[in-house]
Amino acid sequence: MYAFVTVGSTRFDGLVQRALSDAVLDVLRAKGYSKIVVQCGNSEFDTKSYEWTGETWVRRGEEHIEVWRFKPSLQEEYEQADLVISHAGSGTIIDVLRLRKPLIVIPNSTLLDNHQEELASTLAQLRHLKASTISELPKAIESLEPSGFVPFPVFDGSRFREMLDEEMGFA
Amino acid sequence: MVSVALILLFVLSCIVLRLISVIRRTRTRFSDARPTPPKTCSLAVFLGSGGHTSEALVLLSALDFSRYSPRKYIYSQGDILSAKKAVNLESLKAPECTSHPSVPQVHSTDATTPYTLVSIPRARRVHQSLFTTPVTAARSLITCLYHVTIAPLLSGHPFADVLVVNGPGTCCMLCLAVYVNRFFGFHSPKMIYVESFARVKTLSLSGKLLRPFVDRFVVQWPELLNDGGRGECRGWLI
Repeated sequence: MYAFVTVGSTRFDGLVQRALSDAVLDVLRAKGYSKIVVQCGNSEFDTKSYEWTGETWVRRGEEHIEVWRFKPSLQEEYEQADLVISHAGSGTIIDVLRLRKPLIVIPNSTLLDNHQEELASTLAQLRHLKASTISELPKAIESLEPSGFVPFPVFDGSRFREMLDEEMGFA
Repeated sequence: MVSVALILLFVLSCIVLRLISVIRRTRTRFSDARPTPPKTCSLAVFLGSGGHTSEALVLLSALDFSRYSPRKYIYSQGDILSAKKAVNLESLKAPECTSHPSVPQVHSTDATTPYTLVSIPRARRVHQSLFTTPVTAARSLITCLYHVTIAPLLSGHPFADVLVVNGPGTCCMLCLAVYVNRFFGFHSPKMIYVESFARVKTLSLSGKLLRPFVDRFVVQWPELLNDGGRGECRGWLI
């Protein structure tokens, strides 16, 4: 199985470092995730145990663990993943939940007024995803029940379209 | 001295009265109802990077591109990812027109260029202290004034009929530039503010600032309107 970790377009050192820690890698391995990829954005992490291939960092001795900064689209990663662990950015959340993938989010509390926290906890209450913290991440992975999630509603573009048509005099 | 003070007071009162009248007209939605529906509307959208870009493009994907044409994607200087995502959306929605802009910054649009990309300096970077923001915001505002106010005056092509923004600080500069147009009675786009899906319990800073001034203030979670302030909620738009 494939676990994909993403921090979106900014920087979230805490999540990247935790995701690459033994505590998390061990529990992922134990749960059967044989491929682990971390999209680290502008985050910093200790590259000592990694080999730079020119495009990605690959963990020495464990080629199934790799890290890279950006790709123009993460759609393919989301589609292939069996588990996504990400920051609680709304864009990522929407993209992943629309693909009906199990999602664990960690709000990035360094952002302006900690706005990721609201969305994470509300969607967790609605059982669309699991919200956790950097320190609790191994536990969250361990206790994950993918079948317990409520599917995210399908995109309904008519609401915005109708509102704009109304405003602009097309309605 | 007294006469100078009186003149200044008079000018200031005129400015304040004009502002009040502009804001009032913005909030009375049916003040300029069209007798016949338009054929097309030119649309501008601000892509604020990250989730703001994703959400804005999802909103746009719901629209009929033959109706909302030409389109202008405004992105922050250096944010190539947003520009690429805009181009992606355009290819996905590729209608009969297949022409692409040959230059990233085009000052006028016509029927042969269905969309253009425009970059403006950010008013505030992620993690930037709010203390240093006024300086970067001023720079951003000047560029916005160029695109929204000055270039249209010089070229005769209006900036857009409608501007869609969804929250990042830089969109406040765009809206401020639109207000300058309104103040002077120049053509100005309708401003549609859609608060991010991420805002469940509290409005963003931009949302709080722009709420009284935009033509439509739309939120995606009903709790945000519990304060009884202006706005509408139609559920999740994304």
